[in-house]
Amino acid sequence: MAELLQYTITGIAVGMVYALIALGFVLIWKSSGVANLALGQIVLISSWFTYAMLVQAEFPLWLGFPITIIFALFLGWAIERFALRPLIAQPILALITVTLGIGYFIEGVVSFIWPWSVDALPRMFPREVINIGPAVISQEYVWVVGVCILVFVLLTLFFRYHKMGIAMRATADDQMAVQACGIPVTRVFSWSWMFACVVAAIGGILISSIGGITYGLVETGLKSFSVVILGGLDSFIGAIVAGPIIGLAESIGGGYLTPLVWAGVKDIIPFIIIIIVMIIKPYGLFGETRIERI
Amino acid sequence: MNLPCGTRNFTYAEDMAILRTKTHWVMFVILLILLFTLPLYLSNYWLSVANLIGITLIAAIGLNILVGYCGQLSIGHAGFIAVGAYTTAILTGRFELPFLVGLICAGVVAGTVGLIFGIPSVRVKGFYLAITTIAAQFIIIWIINHWEITGGFIGIEVPYASIAGFEFRSEASQFFLIMVIAVICIFLTKNLTRTKVGRAFIAVRDNDLAAEVMGVNVLYYKLLAFFIGCFLAGIAGALLAHWIGFMNTEQFSLTESILYIGMIIIGGLGTSLGPILGVIFIRILQQLLTAQLVPYLESTFNMMPAGFATGVTPMLFGLVIVLFLVLEPRGLAHRWALIKSAYRLWPFSY
Repeated sequence: MAELLQYTITGIAVGMVYALIALGFVLIWKSSGVANLALGQIVLISSWFTYAMLVQAEFPLWLGFPITIIFALFLGWAIERFALRPLIAQPILALITVTLGIGYFIEGVVSFIWPWSVDALPRMFPREVINIGPAVISQEYVWVVGVCILVFVLLTLFFRYHKMGIAMRATADDQMAVQACGIPVTRVFSWSWMFACVVAAIGGILISSIGGITYGLVETGLKSFSVVILGGLDSFIGAIVAGPIIGLAESIGGGYLTPLVWAGVKDIIPFIIIIIVMIIKPYGLFGETRIERI
Repeated sequence: MNLPCGTRNFTYAEDMAILRTKTHWVMFVILLILLFTLPLYLSNYWLSVANLIGITLIAAIGLNILVGYCGQLSIGHAGFIAVGAYTTAILTGRFELPFLVGLICAGVVAGTVGLIFGIPSVRVKGFYLAITTIAAQFIIIWIINHWEITGGFIGIEVPYASIAGFEFRSEASQFFLIMVIAVICIFLTKNLTRTKVGRAFIAVRDNDLAAEVMGVNVLYYKLLAFFIGCFLAGIAGALLAHWIGFMNTEQFSLTESILYIGMIIIGGLGTSLGPILGVIFIRILQQLLTAQLVPYLESTFNMMPAGFATGVTPMLFGLVIVLFLVLEPRGLAHRWALIKSAYRLWPFSY
């Protein structure tokens, strides 16, 4: 019982981070129709950048964290401006592969600047354990869930009340109509990339403050694709609901299946979920079913 | 435009021929002679590069059929190559079956695995399929790492290829084995894309709904493309296994899959010349970088940062892929066609 509760809470916490990263994907997909496969590498490089700020430059948290956010904003802007703007209206194949190329490039930059490839971020959250019933849980996970919920709320408010947020929702709805209304669509694209990079960076900082910075972060980005697929590519609610589901499946399934099958089954569960969803319900739980016409 | 002035057709067979003029034939024969006498001029090191190019070429041709002709994006190609490599490693290494049996089985098993992961392509396409194939890559590598029969994380040794008692031990003998298979694959796929099957692939790529309305069995042709693409990946994997002699899953990472996509994009999607140019370009660039330029720079300037050697290759390849997509989305094959027609029309290019 204690075990199950522990798995549940860690699963929900990790799943929330997946949902956060997935949100960044959905944002870009909805506004510009680009599938960002460089998500994992963006998570990786922003975690390393945080490391550079907090450990190498020894900035305090209140200074290092905003600089990381600014870096993520800049990263998103640069990717959109230099790689994706020239490719507007190209086939989806080109759009997907260009993000693969960007991811590969970022991976090279990371191993160029930080060649030792494994390190730990300083602890940001208090480490004392707390007892919930019979379970003993590290306090960090509760903090992670809190931060994720805070970001979700902030994003919701932004999309509801801010002018740019409304423009982004409108672009997602109908690009042509938005253009006709005089909203600069390219600026919306570049904002959605900036936002996506920021939420990916926050997700990366959260997950690497628990598990350390490794190349596994790229895989974390890839795992958040299972969230996107399960929730539906074009649904914010889908991402928020599916994130904890994937997290729970990973931690509970990993916890109970590992003695039964081979070790490391935890890392493969999200990918198996992808295949199952693809065969049964390819547009996900909340995704819009595409009806194509010739 | 593509033919020299004054070339006329008198029969249908003449119109359909790949090599149209006497000059074509002469050039083609010279090319073949040059190719198969390469072991005479190349050092052992460059011969091994040529072998790697040949093996990569077979896999890239398969990927080109799948992505370039049929339009089904697959980012798990290294996973399917791994299936082929391990199949032949187990069959010839553990059960001591002959090489040719291992080769064919490698292709068939990889093709079948490709079919299984290709099933979602019936209902989804584009990004969804890309994610499915990434998932396939991870699942395949995980299974290989944990199944006892494959040697797991430690790896597995593979014997030399042998046909009728002759062992392909030296780099030169393996060169002939690999190149003969590569040339056969190029010939077969070139012809495949000109038949009914190839036209169906192209119809599915351009608009699968329209293709279905016109009477193309979309399900059948999508799965057939997956089978052929992964079959060739399996063949390439088997040759790779016998060539290296030692298999480990680290040789089949996701970055390798991305590199394969990069190769066919740089070469030019959906052309028969594209994969050849792309593979040669990427593999030679890779060799020049990792084996020549980086050691040279590191020995000349001792102020190099520590991550230079590992970082510069992915950085440059990522940059090359992005630049090609932005600046020359139709690839080197298109550039080559432009050069050819400019040469043909010179000096009156209008």
